[in-house]
Amino acid sequence: MDHSRKMIAGLGSLALAAAGTVAFATSALASGSVTVGITTALSGPIAELGQTGLQAIELAAADANAKGGVLGKQVKVVSADSNLSPATGATNVRNFILDNHAVAIFGPVSSAVAVAEEGVAAKYKTPIFFSTSNDVKLATTNYTKYMFQVVPDTHMEPAAVARYLADAVGKKHITIATITPDYSFGRDTVASFLKSLKADGVNYTVKAQETPKLGASQYTSYIAALIAAHPDYTFMGQFGGDLVTLTKQAEGFGFFKHTKPMAMYGRAQLKALKGKVPAGAIAWDRAPFWAMKGPGMEKFSEAYNAKYHEWPSAWAVMGYTAFETWAQGVEKAHSFNGDKVSAALSGATIKTIRGPITLRACDHQGDVGEYVGTIAAKVNPKYGFQTYAHSKLIPAKDIILSCKITTAEQPKS
Amino acid sequence: MNLQVIVIEGLSAMTTAASLFIIAAGLSLIFGALRVINVAHGTLYMYGAYFMATLFAASGSGWLFWVGLLVAPLFVAAIGAIAEVTLLRRVYERDHLVQLLVTYSLFLILSDLALRFWGTASLSANQPPSLSGAAMVGGVMFPAYDLFVIGCAVAMGLALWALLGRTMLGWKIRAAVEDPETLAASGTNVKRLFTLVFAIGSGLAGFGGAVIAPLQSVDPGMGQSVIVSAFIVAVIGGLGSIAGAAIGATLIGIVEAVGIFYLPSWAPAFIFVAMIVVLAVRPVGLMGQKLGY
Amino acid sequence: MAAQPALPPVADQISRKRDQGLHPAVLAAGLAVIVLMLAAGPDYLGQSALLELELILGLAVFAAATNLLLGYGGLVSFGQATFYGIGAYAIALNWMHWKLPFWLAFSAAPFAAALAAFFVGLIALRARKLYFALLTLAFSQLFYVVAEQQYHFTGGANGIFGKMIPPALAVPQNGYWFILGVAVVALLALWKITVSPFGLLLRATRERPERAESLGLNVFGHQLMAFVLSGFFCGLAGALYAVYNQNAYPELLDWVKSGDPVMMSVIGGMYSFLGPVVGAFIYEIARQFLVGTTRDWQLILGVVLLVIILFMPDGLIGQFKHGLPWRKGGRK
Repeated sequence: MDHSRKMIAGLGSLALAAAGTVAFATSALASGSVTVGITTALSGPIAELGQTGLQAIELAAADANAKGGVLGKQVKVVSADSNLSPATGATNVRNFILDNHAVAIFGPVSSAVAVAEEGVAAKYKTPIFFSTSNDVKLATTNYTKYMFQVVPDTHMEPAAVARYLADAVGKKHITIATITPDYSFGRDTVASFLKSLKADGVNYTVKAQETPKLGASQYTSYIAALIAAHPDYTFMGQFGGDLVTLTKQAEGFGFFKHTKPMAMYGRAQLKALKGKVPAGAIAWDRAPFWAMKGPGMEKFSEAYNAKYHEWPSAWAVMGYTAFETWAQGVEKAHSFNGDKVSAALSGATIKTIRGPITLRACDHQGDVGEYVGTIAAKVNPKYGFQTYAHSKLIPAKDIILSCKITTAEQPKS
Repeated sequence: MNLQVIVIEGLSAMTTAASLFIIAAGLSLIFGALRVINVAHGTLYMYGAYFMATLFAASGSGWLFWVGLLVAPLFVAAIGAIAEVTLLRRVYERDHLVQLLVTYSLFLILSDLALRFWGTASLSANQPPSLSGAAMVGGVMFPAYDLFVIGCAVAMGLALWALLGRTMLGWKIRAAVEDPETLAASGTNVKRLFTLVFAIGSGLAGFGGAVIAPLQSVDPGMGQSVIVSAFIVAVIGGLGSIAGAAIGATLIGIVEAVGIFYLPSWAPAFIFVAMIVVLAVRPVGLMGQKLGY
Repeated sequence: MAAQPALPPVADQISRKRDQGLHPAVLAAGLAVIVLMLAAGPDYLGQSALLELELILGLAVFAAATNLLLGYGGLVSFGQATFYGIGAYAIALNWMHWKLPFWLAFSAAPFAAALAAFFVGLIALRARKLYFALLTLAFSQLFYVVAEQQYHFTGGANGIFGKMIPPALAVPQNGYWFILGVAVVALLALWKITVSPFGLLLRATRERPERAESLGLNVFGHQLMAFVLSGFFCGLAGALYAVYNQNAYPELLDWVKSGDPVMMSVIGGMYSFLGPVVGAFIYEIARQFLVGTTRDWQLILGVVLLVIILFMPDGLIGQFKHGLPWRKGGRK
């Protein structure tokens, strides 16, 4: 082995050894500041959701710090990629809490990772805020008192869409097809949608139900089956890049001329599809900044656009409100202690950029509504994508599960 | 099942098969000549798609699509050539496992660089106006662009067949597998030949990405999600065999379509079962030859 | 499988090829000190370091078990997560559905994995080299897809979370000592296997399969036995994971997870027994550190892997042996 090869080899082992030493070292708690941690998808297919959420939390921390911090302390945000793995997410949360002395955790995109993170946060009595993952199980079967959810859950969201449709069709008989990812989110969403339609008295027949896998790149066979079913309305549960792919492939069939699609077209999909979203489609979004009239929404979206050169996604809006929720919990509790913050937020009403949010005492679910609307025919010149022509906020009180139902599912302590 | 359903299901299966073949062909070509399984192949495919989507972000006009279709493969082939010269060339003499891990490292590095360069947002390339919308085939409406993808796969298969079977270069590639010493003695620069083959294989990945981009969301997970299916197709067909890749792609296309139609909740498992069954019966794949590897 | 005395020459050849970096007594004493230091961990290590060690100890068993195939049998498997996952799911599924005592589930987990390994091996070992690797990968993905799809039984993508271990083990130190104890015993057992007549014959099948076959050795039988044994210990490692994290979810079964122990073995050195163990420590600590500190963790991890693969052909352990001053001019 010649000299240079040996040296490079030596350097490699040195780098690894150094990495090892530092990993076990713990960073001291800097005085005058506190740390919050966020671990979410920052690589892979849904990295856009995680990335925009993280950006908003960093912006929220910067805004709070500019106003003197939270309880007089400057807030430092530490972040790490969960790599879509529950194990990595859980380990990151643990390291944030034990090594970085994080006093609060902000959650991930995927529900599977969220479940893992929720457990770790509870073990170390640290509050955790979910603003993107929205599995109803997080507040029911997996509920812990350290968990707070400021996003409409997998029951509320489809229930809002069902309500919107019920208002639009009245007593008329309609046919429906569904296509949702074969994944817990997709299954829960479509089940709640159909159940809510029934509860709202809609006269419907289901003609086809398709369940392609999450992250599929070919929807052709499924679209063919949907076309054969001739539905009046097609409920599409795909999100993120999957929805973009499905829309483009269905468009090629001319499918949208024969059915009215319904899907979660948010900022990212509207932008990616560059004006090709079927006009008149029923669309929903958890926080479309252009349709929201909260007191700070315009200022926030302008500030976000100025800093990151893009308009905020729903994940960004909700990430920002998650931070606001935590900060006000701390102010109310006069403490960063997890038990005290949890007690102070339980049942409390928080002022946020989207308006006041009340976190129910029974399951810590925020009373956030869902926005449902129809896609405009033309691109909005200011934002560069199609927005909603008409939109409605379906308020939380119309769609939220009762405390009786959710608490029955919670673990008995 | 009426005739229309059969036609449309058949065309759907062919579209799936075509897009699988477009990815797997380059993988198989590289394996045939260099005996290397390129884990980064899916990532190179993603680079082709990103290249196309970036071109479309700059301008939306139709002729840029055809420019992209020509330039994307060259761009990706160049990346492949650089990787071959700097990394792979050093490990041809070593274990298959070492080569696999080198390409896995390459996969990690290229995925990260793509994230740095193009960000996390999903991008999208439009279909050129001449190929968008639906066409009538056998009495059913079918996307014109999907037919174009099927056409691209057929053209690619024929071009590879001609290249390998009808040209000097093809003869040399085959000789490189069977008898590298004689080839070197006959004055061929085997090193350069290998670089060229790897560049062509990568270029095919780039072409595939560019062709598929208008049908999909172009995002950071693209490479990862196709690589396992590409392996399966190449392995079922027999590594190194282009005809095998075509048969493997068709088989998977049909298995998927049938699975989705009859047993949707088990459909994702079917392609793995298909691979296991094929290899249990023929351990070198359908068209593979038993070689000393 | 009993030793086959018909083959001493091959086995003997192989065993002499083994090069020892250190005198066995020095090595044994050194390892004993390390184990004692680990056992005293709760006295001087923080909570996060202890938990990290719990994870790594299980991964060390996982990597060493995988290397029984890789380094000793010459069988590159990209499917060992199948058995790791089965080990973890055995405990989680028992807790969710059957409610048998934890200790019964823990003891059964490696056997369940070994049984699965028997059937997978029966099919996969018919294929050679790369085809074998890709066939094991297909099995890994098959189990992953099934665990995700059959959600009524497995909890689907969210997996199974809960208090699946006895309260005594939930006490942090107890859990740590338990995992350390089981891992040390498992590694000793694996080591015994590698130096047993079976282990030597297995190496004969790697180095000269045709010769071994012509001398009457049942190559397929030995490889299948190695596959089952490896599956057994991978399952045990998975059961340790369930003790550490009290959950099981589909990602434990997929090909990315299967790649981890292969990577660890190559980093540490797959031609020495301790290589994968060292590799497990370094890979996991480095990965965790990179993920926690930089967005570009994939880039750095990729570059470091390349450096090790290109410049240290026998892994870090091999490098250590070459680099020792009194062994200059050692194995090339």
